[in-house]
Amino acid sequence: MDPMDAIKQTYFQECDELLASLEEGLLSLEAGEADSDTINAVFRAVHSVKGGAGAFGFDAMVSFAHVFETTLDAMRSGKLDPDPESVKLMLRAADVLADHVAAAKGEGAVDETRAHAMADELAALVAPEGGAPRASAAVAAPVADEGGADDWGFKPLKFGDDDPPASPAGWRLIMRPTKAMYAKGHDALLFLRELSRLGPTATTLDTSWLPNLDGLDPEESYCTWTAELPAETPEIAIRDIFDFVGDDCPIELTLTAAVSEEAPAAAPAAPIDIDALLNSVRTPTAEREALEGGAEKPAAAAPAADKAANKNAPAPAGGGATIRVDLERVDRMIDLVGELVINQAMLQQRVTESGAARSSTIAMGLDELEQLTREIQDSVMAIRAQPVKSVFQRMPRLVREAASATGKQVRLVMEGEGTEVDKTVIERLSDPITHMLRNAIDHGLESTEERIASGKQEEGTVRLAALHRSGRIVIEVSDDGKGINRPKVREIAVKKGLVAVDANLSDEEIDNLIFLPGFSTATSVSNLSGRGVGMDVVKRSIQALGGRITISSIPGKGSTFTLSLPLTLAVLDGMVVSVGAQTLVAPLTTIIETLRPKPEEVRRLGPRGAVLAVRGSHVPLIDIGVALGQRAEPIDPTQGVVLLVESEVGGRAALVADEIQGQRQVVIKSLEANFQRVEGVAAATILGDGRVALILDVDAVVEKVFSDRRDAAPLAKAS
Amino acid sequence: MKLPQILDLAAATTLRTQLMERRGQKLALDGGEVERLGGLCLQVLIAARNQWRVDGVDFRIVNPSPAFADGARLMGADASLGDAP
Repeated sequence: MDPMDAIKQTYFQECDELLASLEEGLLSLEAGEADSDTINAVFRAVHSVKGGAGAFGFDAMVSFAHVFETTLDAMRSGKLDPDPESVKLMLRAADVLADHVAAAKGEGAVDETRAHAMADELAALVAPEGGAPRASAAVAAPVADEGGADDWGFKPLKFGDDDPPASPAGWRLIMRPTKAMYAKGHDALLFLRELSRLGPTATTLDTSWLPNLDGLDPEESYCTWTAELPAETPEIAIRDIFDFVGDDCPIELTLTAAVSEEAPAAAPAAPIDIDALLNSVRTPTAEREALEGGAEKPAAAAPAADKAANKNAPAPAGGGATIRVDLERVDRMIDLVGELVINQAMLQQRVTESGAARSSTIAMGLDELEQLTREIQDSVMAIRAQPVKSVFQRMPRLVREAASATGKQVRLVMEGEGTEVDKTVIERLSDPITHMLRNAIDHGLESTEERIASGKQEEGTVRLAALHRSGRIVIEVSDDGKGINRPKVREIAVKKGLVAVDANLSDEEIDNLIFLPGFSTATSVSNLSGRGVGMDVVKRSIQALGGRITISSIPGKGSTFTLSLPLTLAVLDGMVVSVGAQTLVAPLTTIIETLRPKPEEVRRLGPRGAVLAVRGSHVPLIDIGVALGQRAEPIDPTQGVVLLVESEVGGRAALVADEIQGQRQVVIKSLEANFQRVEGVAAATILGDGRVALILDVDAVVEKVFSDRRDAAPLAKAS
Repeated sequence: MKLPQILDLAAATTLRTQLMERRGQKLALDGGEVERLGGLCLQVLIAARNQWRVDGVDFRIVNPSPAFADGARLMGADASLGDAP
């Protein structure tokens, strides 16, 4: 890849993160959690997007971001209240900025009219009464290059004198570039130019340490600069400019009106940094001494001052240090660890076969190896684990757009955004969640009038939640709308020939009809969810991930769609069982208990059916071999073992296998990728003895058997 | 003497050498083609101006390009280049 492209890609990745934190910050402002840290973070996000955009020449993005930034700046300095209206506007502005980023990536275009209108609205927010809007003036000339070339005139320097400083208080920035900074290709000029973009800047140059030409090392840094900026300039914006040079260009930033009574009023969010002030008094002497000792020393003396000055700066987002790693490398490592797990299992089996006692040193050593292997595996998995936030944060925009498309008032509540799940799962969560949310708004929520009529709040609530439950991630999408209209669903299903007219269906079964291919309750195809993609597609994509989807609905109160997905698609804790000549793995998460039934617990039902009495209730017995088509006749349950499982579709069931071999972690190998999808089988794995074993899809097996037994034959299509 | 287009890190050493070669001569540096003036070259120019002043020889910058003037102004260079600090 072209190195420039690589840098650009990194920038786009950063943009995604920045846009996410922008939206997150704005949402918490909207929720009324307006503290200066949040506003700073929001400002910084837009500022950083703009910075990169400038470097890559995305001019339209720079202009828009500049206006946005100016408005945020006003909010930061307390001139603009983060009231709900302004924040709502900024959320929409964030969407436009996201469009700009997408356009820069080549993934779409910016609606110019919308972008301009948005820029005007933003500018209007900060327009001083009776004066020209500052922001729109900035669009016209985002770079402070006004007042063309003069004739090398030696006047005191001041930019933008049309905008005199609001108060005598201001920032004083002392900047001490080092030789190292220049050597790395940075230049004092660039920083001063950036500073000048923040507002009217008065810069003075200190050449007192500059020797005459005969004694000059042309690559050494001798000059320091002092820049005065208005007090309302966000401190973070100033510090951000120097963020990436670190100790190569130490800075001291102080509020000059420290002794003035007015200073706190002028910049309430920027407390006076006593340490930095003290340092600004102390360092000149220190520096002088250092300079006398050698040219490199000012750099060594200054960082201490810089550190002190930085103490009040907010911690970088994310806290600890991070690195970016190519996902391929992580995947390769996960594959290798998978092989390691298999290999370790094989080794263990060989040792067992060789007749070594469990207490022998070799067996104990192997136990330790197993422990270690598992830890390595967990650690590697943790590398890929990510909070679902990356998917969730795209949803507020979707909800805003869906709400405006349907004319409904919608409030989105998100919970459990920090819930972690494997990256491979996260990537595939976006589409189903998007679809379910759209459905909830389009079909679930009533119109405002209907809501008022039924005595509900005008604003409908859609809740999106993520949580961990028994080793899986559960995503819930619920609404407080009208619930599933069961008579209508049934009527449609009958009309479309999906169920028999006289079929006796439970509420749950009726609800599940909406997952049938081709089912749609919308009388007219709406712009929003009726795009020919039904809930059947959602269900299939969830199933492909080894997940399940269920509905619960209360008429008049709302519906909840629950997705349950494995945390990772790479490994699984399973119970290894024999069925006939085959070895199968049942996912441990689905098994409640295992037992060997007594003859009196088994009750025959009809010619082939049977139920098992467990703790006062009866559970259908399902012979795994028969269900998978391995044998024609079921074995006597009392001669085999029973796995009592909980399925999402049919509640509890008792799966009959010949015997249990043991419990172990297996590495999942996709059957679809290597062979094809097989009904009742979720995936495959390689066992310790090198043989392939199939991993049971417990839900599919239970559902298949239940639907086979049901006389309503058309329902079989549902699986 | 014409100043080069780019006055950055890479140009600083050469610029100093060229100026040193002209030491003692009256100097008018033509800044008309300068597209970028960086901090290091600004140091070289100010050091030269000071040197020439010590030597009692005339030193001037003529015809500064907009980029040159802009760079110098951003770096607060007016005062230092005008009057000896």
